[in-house]
Amino acid sequence: MSWVGIILSFALVDNVILSRLLGVCPEVCAPGGMRTAAGVGGFMAVLMAGSAVGGWAVDSQVLVPLGFTLLRTPAFVFLVAGLAFALRALSARFLPSLLLVTGVSIPEIGINCAALGLVLITTRAEYTAAESLVAGLAAGAGYFLVTALMTAIRERLEVEPVPRALRGFPLQLITAGLMAYAFMAFDRAFLSRVLGG
Amino acid sequence: MKSGLVLSKSMLSENPIAMLFLGLCPALAVSVRVIDALWMSVGVILVLVLSGLAMALLSRHGEVDRGSAAAGLLRALVITSFLTASFEAGLLSLAPTASAALGIYAPLIAVNCLVLGRGMPGVTSPSLGSSVAAALGRGIGFAASLVLIALVREALGAGTITLFPVGGFGGTIEIPLLVEQPVRALGFAGGGLLCLGYLAAAARVISGRAAAKSAGKEAA
Amino acid sequence: MPDVEDRAGPAAFSLMPAPHLSVGMSTSRMTWLVSLCLLPAAGWGVFLFGTPALIVLVVSVCAAVLAELAATLPFRRFTLPDGSAVLTGFIVGLLMPAGVPAFVPAAASAFAILVVKQTFGGLGRNWMNPAMGGVVFALLSWPGLMSQWITPRGGSAQAAVMPPLGALRAALGAPGVKDATPLAVLSRAGFTFSDIDSQVVGWINSHVLAPLGTALAPGTFDVLVGHVAGGIGTVSAPFLLLGAWFLLSRGVIRWHLPVCYAGTFSLLAAIFGGLGTGQGWFAGGPGFHLLSGSLVLGAFYAAPDPVTSPLTNRGKCIFGVGLGILTFLLRFFGSLGDGVAASIVLGNCASPLLDRWTSRRATEDVREGAA
Repeated sequence: MSWVGIILSFALVDNVILSRLLGVCPEVCAPGGMRTAAGVGGFMAVLMAGSAVGGWAVDSQVLVPLGFTLLRTPAFVFLVAGLAFALRALSARFLPSLLLVTGVSIPEIGINCAALGLVLITTRAEYTAAESLVAGLAAGAGYFLVTALMTAIRERLEVEPVPRALRGFPLQLITAGLMAYAFMAFDRAFLSRVLGG
Repeated sequence: MKSGLVLSKSMLSENPIAMLFLGLCPALAVSVRVIDALWMSVGVILVLVLSGLAMALLSRHGEVDRGSAAAGLLRALVITSFLTASFEAGLLSLAPTASAALGIYAPLIAVNCLVLGRGMPGVTSPSLGSSVAAALGRGIGFAASLVLIALVREALGAGTITLFPVGGFGGTIEIPLLVEQPVRALGFAGGGLLCLGYLAAAARVISGRAAAKSAGKEAA
Repeated sequence: MPDVEDRAGPAAFSLMPAPHLSVGMSTSRMTWLVSLCLLPAAGWGVFLFGTPALIVLVVSVCAAVLAELAATLPFRRFTLPDGSAVLTGFIVGLLMPAGVPAFVPAAASAFAILVVKQTFGGLGRNWMNPAMGGVVFALLSWPGLMSQWITPRGGSAQAAVMPPLGALRAALGAPGVKDATPLAVLSRAGFTFSDIDSQVVGWINSHVLAPLGTALAPGTFDVLVGHVAGGIGTVSAPFLLLGAWFLLSRGVIRWHLPVCYAGTFSLLAAIFGGLGTGQGWFAGGPGFHLLSGSLVLGAFYAAPDPVTSPLTNRGKCIFGVGLGILTFLLRFFGSLGDGVAASIVLGNCASPLLDRWTSRRATEDVREGAA
């Protein structure tokens, strides 16, 4: 697939949250303003891109040649968790404001499905290192897009009296569901026509 | 009696999916067909119980590393990821179609079970029995919610209910009117999110009523 | 009675004035007025498509009303007088093809009211346009059924098979069809229009335009008046525009959103529309595309819904431009109906974000400080 195709595919058409349903949990759709969303989104983008590339390295250079494909799951789990901790340590050192803003979210992110899921997708599709990098960044962009939209919606909803049972995360889920339906307008047919036509 | 209480709690008031919002990725993605939900539940229960057992054994015989959350996490990651890999390998050889259907969500069990294992009494208390009971309870609660969502999504969204083929039964039940014109939107990602949201709301209402009832009983 | 000001959290903090109702009309009166203005279009649709159309309209309005009652009566609220349920059902029905089985508009209306609107707390609290959400739900769930068109009264036999937009898509795939406006493309592909159309167009061409050296393409009358297959209310552009003009003149809707929407779309369609199909630049046929499908209904009746569109005029303009771009992309490259409903629900996702950007920045600092 072309670069534009990969970017559009991972950011819009098969959006990490709204289409692949990875990374849907309360901590990540956490209460926080737009700055938190931006911080988390940036972190996730770097994490996903790094994991994807790391996954390519581990898979194509180590696991496949040695025939240890059954060890993919543990390998990737450690890769993602390790990267998340490393990134967290790096941000503590060089970007302390990031941790302040995103606070609780970051440790949970390391165990979050999104990065691990992305690695699994890119390795199963046998992307090259460059393709994995771009896919990871695009997925992060799509992730940020959705959280930004949902943050704005949630901030508006917070002021409204919502039925009690639905308050909080259930309403987030329903909001995400409606958004997912909306995003289905960007489907594979759309992608192929935009790219090909 | 105690295990009964644990079970009922994890089915309703502490249901992992509907109330605690743990392990949502499979709940959303693997609930399009009942049989996929069943296989995912099998995997989750296996990994949960076995890892709960392993962790309890380790904390019994080894040092309990209270100070280092990272070491505990590391240990948990090792156990769950290897257990998940074993489950995947087993599934691949026993039921390759199921393995293909679960796709990337089978390996994700590793992080899901980790998340699911949070806050379980079994992890901190050394009793083997209660560890297993708690893990089993969580797993069954998870399975109940997952299969319920899958039932709704498949029955309305595809007009079928797909189960394990047994003997002469092919495995697919077709619902007369729905199978011709199903509500396809329920089978898509948005459908999963919507079903989960409403399930969570329903769980809150029901458990709220159950709590009120039992409080009323105690008062009376 | 819910007021427009009630609905927006940001407005409570923002330093910009809320969009006060300068016409001195209550929200519910405005809503009923919109429904009223849709009646001519509905009437034309029923005239063209007959009893099935009437059934679809009645079913969708009733379903919406029943859903609204089911969601509000148990909580001892009676919200029908505000007119929004009826309007939602009405719009859903108007976007349906006349030949659709009754359960589709019923389900779409019920989904619109129950999921898109009442789940969030009812009128003024939803972020997605209920009618558009319902239509998208129907398009996703029953794509085949949403294309069951009926021949309009006196229309050509071909008109029954598909509306001009669909026929155009099909025709453009054929080789050797180049360098022409959409109507010309259709004629060359063998799409036939009605007898009335050939009479009217023939008369105009021979008596008025021949001396001027130009001619109207066959089918101009049909498409203009709406004498083609399509959604019950979407074919009748003249009637819709009539109602829209009334609403604009009374201040019920403001011109910013519809004009930016239709304008951007026409511009993009005119410039780029012909590209993907080998027609070349500036050959997209904006007039045809403006009149086909639910663009007029979407731009003047659905998108300007005050609850789900931005508050400020600047926000509305940006929203309109965005919708125009989305509808262009989704109509020419996408596959979900004619792109209008899908664009509006996508735009609704971004509307709260747009509000953040176009309201004063003070809002953001207040909220970050509190969070």
